[in-house]
Amino acid sequence: MTRGAGWKESPLVPAIVPVGLLVVWQLASTTGLLPSQILPAPTAVVKAAAELTADGELIHHLAVSTARALTGLVVGGSISFALGLLCGLSPFARRLLDPTLQMVRTIPHLALLPLVILWFGIGEQAKILLVAWGIFFPIYLNTYHGVVSVDPQLIEMGRVYGMKRWELFRRIIFPGALPSILVGLRFGLGIMWLTLIVAETIAANSGIGYMATQAREFSQTDIIVLAIFVYAGLGKLADSLTRALEHRLLRWNPAYARA
Amino acid sequence: MNFPALRLVEERAHSPQGAPVSVRELSIAFGQNQVLDRLSLHIEPGEFVAIVGRSGCGKSTLLRAVMGLIQPGGGSIDVDLNAARLVFQEPRLLPWASVRENVAVGAPAGLDAAERDRLVDARLAEVGLADKAEQWPAALSGGQRQRVALARALISQPRLLALDEPLGALDALTRIEMQALVETVWASEGFSALLVTHDVAEAVALADRVVVMEAGRIALDLPITVPRPRRHGDAELAALEGLILDRLLGR
Repeated sequence: MTRGAGWKESPLVPAIVPVGLLVVWQLASTTGLLPSQILPAPTAVVKAAAELTADGELIHHLAVSTARALTGLVVGGSISFALGLLCGLSPFARRLLDPTLQMVRTIPHLALLPLVILWFGIGEQAKILLVAWGIFFPIYLNTYHGVVSVDPQLIEMGRVYGMKRWELFRRIIFPGALPSILVGLRFGLGIMWLTLIVAETIAANSGIGYMATQAREFSQTDIIVLAIFVYAGLGKLADSLTRALEHRLLRWNPAYARA
Repeated sequence: MNFPALRLVEERAHSPQGAPVSVRELSIAFGQNQVLDRLSLHIEPGEFVAIVGRSGCGKSTLLRAVMGLIQPGGGSIDVDLNAARLVFQEPRLLPWASVRENVAVGAPAGLDAAERDRLVDARLAEVGLADKAEQWPAALSGGQRQRVALARALISQPRLLALDEPLGALDALTRIEMQALVETVWASEGFSALLVTHDVAEAVALADRVVVMEAGRIALDLPITVPRPRRHGDAELAALEGLILDRLLGR
């Protein structure tokens, strides 16, 4: 190894670009190169975050958005998981349901927004329905795919070694399908936040998206940027949690065991 | 590699623990293809029978039919499947279960956890993997995985062990070690063994009787009376191997 190359191995290397961008952004704002009506200074965003946290508004909107996301996740996730298992396990259910579900899948769920507003106004049902719908297909498809692609040799082994249906499911089919199910969950969570952003921006009177829309009315760019960062943080948090779940549940798999 | 290779092998009478197998006039066809044609085979309790033949001669079909995985088209099979275990060509271990849990898959139902662990440990020691109980299968070599599969088959103390080319995918040296291991456990446990293999040397080294199959029928049924333990490269075994190969190659 050559002298002076040591800093290239530092764990701080990935932080260089984002920190650099922040510094440039701050400098551009302070010198007036970047007008605050276009983009506020990073310090202004931090200040807005502090103020909104202090008066409880940010926490309130955050709680409302999170509750919607989780309700939609539980409703849409459980139905799609159950249907994915059913269609994966039962050829009859597959023939009965899968073609219809594949047909419905081609509807972009955000296209339903006007209809959903017509039905539910700006009530909670509208947001939860859209989030659940958005989550449905990634989880359904990946659960179904995971179940049908479990190694048939392992299933035969289980049968030969005397496993009954439930045991076969619990010990072979479910763990075999789990990597795919978790991929579905990660996709689903991404769509969950995206759906919520759109729904809250257009049809809500609370939540992070509503906070951003309100701020737009008064040209409060600092709050708009704050809302964007909050959404990014929530998305990252959800992704990190699923990855942690993958590392825990799939630690038998060398592809997940490292890192 | 410290399993007790040929130590336990000794001249032995056929143990009463082995289960007999009786196949009578067995016929199986897949569509137009007559895979087994009125085939009869009897295995004495405790006997080690090896079946050899070219690819597509029906030897694997016969074994799968004996194990109840294929329904016979005609004839009858008399075997106690509750006392039978199958070792596949692939280890077929559950990748998400530890070696211990994988071996426990074969354990008799209704054992308490402590008793099951004790049995698993004993079996793993028998196949020389006592220190691997808590590993994932992904961490093992091919030969080690197949030994785990063997432990899984043995833990229920089967009276018939069916082996479907279980060593086919292993390298030559590992295969010889595994052959010794199979012979050792067979000698000490006394089960009947039905081994399907394409390796004539392996069949001759292990079996009491080698059955050569051709086009769904038995072409040759050859007792191997060479005393055990048998040495690889033994002249008598080599002569028998030559005899069988001549038959298979039509010379």
